[in-house]
Amino acid sequence: MALLEVKDLCVGYRIFEGHLRVLNRARLEVDSGERVGLVGETGCGKTTTVKSILRVLPTPPAEVASGEILYRGADILRMSHRGIRDLRRREMTAIFQDPLQSLNPMFTVGTQLRDILKDSMGGRGRGRLSRREIEARCIAALHETGMPDPERIMHNYPSQLSGGMRQRVCIAEALSREAQLLLADEPTTNLDVTIQDQILRKLDELVDEKGTSVLIITHSMGVVRDLTQRMYIMYAGTMVETGRTKDLLAAPRHPYTQGLMESVPRLTGVGISDGIPGRIPNYLDPPSGCRFHPRCVHVMPVCKETAPEFFSVGEGHVVACYLYRS
Amino acid sequence: MAKYIGLRLVQSIFVLFGLSLLIFSIARVVPGDPARAALGFLASQDQVQQMRVEMHLDKPFPVQYYYWIRNVMHGDLGKSSYTRRPVTTDLAQYIPATLELILFATLISLVFGQIMGILAGYFRNSWFDGLSRLVSYLGIATPSFVIAILLMFLFSQVFRLAPSVGRLPIMMQPPPTVTGFMVLDSLLAGQVKTALVALNHLLLPAFSLAVIHIAQEGRITRSSIVENLNKDYITMHRVHGIRTSRLVFKYLLRPSIIPTITVMGLDFAFLMSNAFLVELVYMWPGFSRYAVTTMLNKDLNAMVAVVVVMGVTFALVNLAVDIIISFLDPTIRIQRRGG
Amino acid sequence: MWQEKRADLAASFALRRRGLAKGWYKFSRNPLSVVGLVVLVVIVLATGLASYITPYPAHAGPYTNFKAAGQPPSWEHLFGTDRIGRDVFTRVIFGYRFSLLLGIVVLGLGVAPGVILGLIAGYHRGTWVETTIMRVTDVFLAVPPLVLALAITAMLTPSLLNEMFAIALLWWPWYCRLVFAVSSSMRNQFFIREAEFSGASEAHILFREMLPNCLAPILTKMTLDMGIVILLGASLSFVGLGAQPPTPCLGTMVADGAKRLPGEWWSTIFPALAIVLVILAFNLVGDGLRDVFAVEEV
Repeated sequence: MALLEVKDLCVGYRIFEGHLRVLNRARLEVDSGERVGLVGETGCGKTTTVKSILRVLPTPPAEVASGEILYRGADILRMSHRGIRDLRRREMTAIFQDPLQSLNPMFTVGTQLRDILKDSMGGRGRGRLSRREIEARCIAALHETGMPDPERIMHNYPSQLSGGMRQRVCIAEALSREAQLLLADEPTTNLDVTIQDQILRKLDELVDEKGTSVLIITHSMGVVRDLTQRMYIMYAGTMVETGRTKDLLAAPRHPYTQGLMESVPRLTGVGISDGIPGRIPNYLDPPSGCRFHPRCVHVMPVCKETAPEFFSVGEGHVVACYLYRS
Repeated sequence: MAKYIGLRLVQSIFVLFGLSLLIFSIARVVPGDPARAALGFLASQDQVQQMRVEMHLDKPFPVQYYYWIRNVMHGDLGKSSYTRRPVTTDLAQYIPATLELILFATLISLVFGQIMGILAGYFRNSWFDGLSRLVSYLGIATPSFVIAILLMFLFSQVFRLAPSVGRLPIMMQPPPTVTGFMVLDSLLAGQVKTALVALNHLLLPAFSLAVIHIAQEGRITRSSIVENLNKDYITMHRVHGIRTSRLVFKYLLRPSIIPTITVMGLDFAFLMSNAFLVELVYMWPGFSRYAVTTMLNKDLNAMVAVVVVMGVTFALVNLAVDIIISFLDPTIRIQRRGG
Repeated sequence: MWQEKRADLAASFALRRRGLAKGWYKFSRNPLSVVGLVVLVVIVLATGLASYITPYPAHAGPYTNFKAAGQPPSWEHLFGTDRIGRDVFTRVIFGYRFSLLLGIVVLGLGVAPGVILGLIAGYHRGTWVETTIMRVTDVFLAVPPLVLALAITAMLTPSLLNEMFAIALLWWPWYCRLVFAVSSSMRNQFFIREAEFSGASEAHILFREMLPNCLAPILTKMTLDMGIVILLGASLSFVGLGAQPPTPCLGTMVADGAKRLPGEWWSTIFPALAIVLVILAFNLVGDGLRDVFAVEEV
């Protein structure tokens, strides 16, 4: 059984103009110990997916129309408050895109880190940590992320730290509890290019050590190639292709994936690619059938009518495109 | 930090100078002879002329202002033409009663306003949120004298739960004055019964004053709670499994309470001016009722003093609020330490 | 050429209509704002037609009829009669007339200078011009408006005219501060810089470039302020420093009636509720406008 399984998730937002149908039967699986990437353009529903899994979507305006999110077989969407709380304390953890926004500016790093450990591992009962142990674990967690002088950082407020330092603090918060699954939503997008690499390498090292399963969201092919074993390509709220990262990058099948790969500038390549003509669809009135068909060069009549199922094109490599129907 | 406070103090002093100049010039520009007003109708022309010289009214305006401000510096605000006593004596007698009223009203509005705001914000779009919205709309739209009259009508005249006039019944011996706060003084003198009676007298006027502020601060707290609930860091705290009580009362409340405190500082001015009306309704023998009386009697010296006292109080309150906020908000504190 | 222009125009009208429709949608999403608007329209109509719709228009002036004094509400006198036999309902409607008049005059006199000074201070951000204007503003805002208004009307003689004058004198600083906040934040934006480079006059920049961008918060604040000014006026006349009798003033009516509580409750409670109603209506409409313009804080 998969550790995490998202089944036909449909999520929309209600706004003035109408109903934005963003996620359209999104599917996703993460196995125990596996590292999975989720790639797509800005606005394709990646963050909505992650927030649904963590059950922190702002409702309203967001609403989950249908689908299931199974964690070890239990549906997160139908879990009790207590259930979801325990899940967050022991099983799942996350890092968000913007380290500037992810830390509470009113409290020191130490206070925030300590409270996380206190609430998930402190207090009374078996296997609980004492105050001293919590303090030590906080410092260790910060130390692990390569932060110099963690004792001093504990007394600092987020506004006294640089972007890279803050993201390290976020990583420390996320990994301090030995969670089974880490959801990382573009953890390096808002950082300087020079810092991005350091942070990713550190993250890679840490999840390796702890054996954490990872779902990492990004729009950088480089990041997926370095960090993941398997990847999903997402377009306009739907997964269009999935497979082992190596296979998929070597031989992308879906027209969208192919376009996406071509738009990655290569240092060795000649000239600049044409990219994919058109834009991400309007979620108020998404295209019928395959949501990619208005931009697709291989469009067939059937594409406009019904959305394609997944067709296998190799070992574990499936594509949602009628080109591979046979 | 000290540097910042010093800067703010200097700024306040400049503003207060401006204010005194403004009010002083209005007092001198208006028709009527202050000397005549000070002496009354029975005084002879000679006496008035002598008074004019004494009050420096025969000199040009800037000189008049100079003499006036010099006297103020020496703690002399002139003589009230209404009570025939030095204005400072009057103020010393009346201010504590108003202070007691205002502080108690602030306490009430803080407690109720926060509770209402937090609940309405956390359970937004619930029935409680709707109810609190209605209550605050009504509270903000109702002048404090209307609230005072309604409360007096209902709780004092119809249900007879609380007295409607003054600080203590005439029959009751007031405790020896220490702080000037009736409730506190009674307790200090060991007269528990007097303290309770005084508290009962305090209840209705203080509530009348507090209603508007409960409404306003409740609204502000609610909207900043809602704003903060949408912040990434609150989502993050939630993702990390922080328990709800800690999330709300620590991580959510701290950033949310800062705008409320700022608004409370600004609202203090309105609290003071609403006391003008509420004291009138409840015959509260305080500064505000004194102020209104002097105004109705065109007592210029006292009026100028009243305005200046209000200005000083307001400036001090805002400075205090500023300091409190910089203790609550580390980003501001760090900024000020650096800059 | 012409056709293109016509098409452009049509498109811009369509856009504007759409803007209005969206504005109305946002406004009407809060049913309370709509209720407030309806109440306001009714009040404005009632005050406009006061002489025709009130049962005893003469009671608004100097009128006494001690035989009919202190009567409780009845079909003849909806809100009862006061201590000298005047119909309270009639006087409330006429009282609205003076309240609205006060609000309109005060804002009419007070907003323009405040806006102009705010624009100038915003444009000359960081110079002595800004410092001077804003520090003078601070002086006016250093004391609650009610206190200063009371002091000023008391020093002049209490009357409706002086009340208007005193409040108007105190109202410009709020607009100065508001407009300064908005205009100084756009001081360095490209469209202002561009206008400067292309040699636009200062007047052009202030009124054609900056002012239009300040209109939404100004309008919202004006609506909310109508309520505040009416409240202030009522407070002033409650104290006895506003319009003098026999002018039917809501605040005076409440003060007069309060002396006869709890017996003749109607002569104070109805005018009091009338004050609450009109202020509430302005606040509700103001909040609706705030939603429409997405104004953060005014």
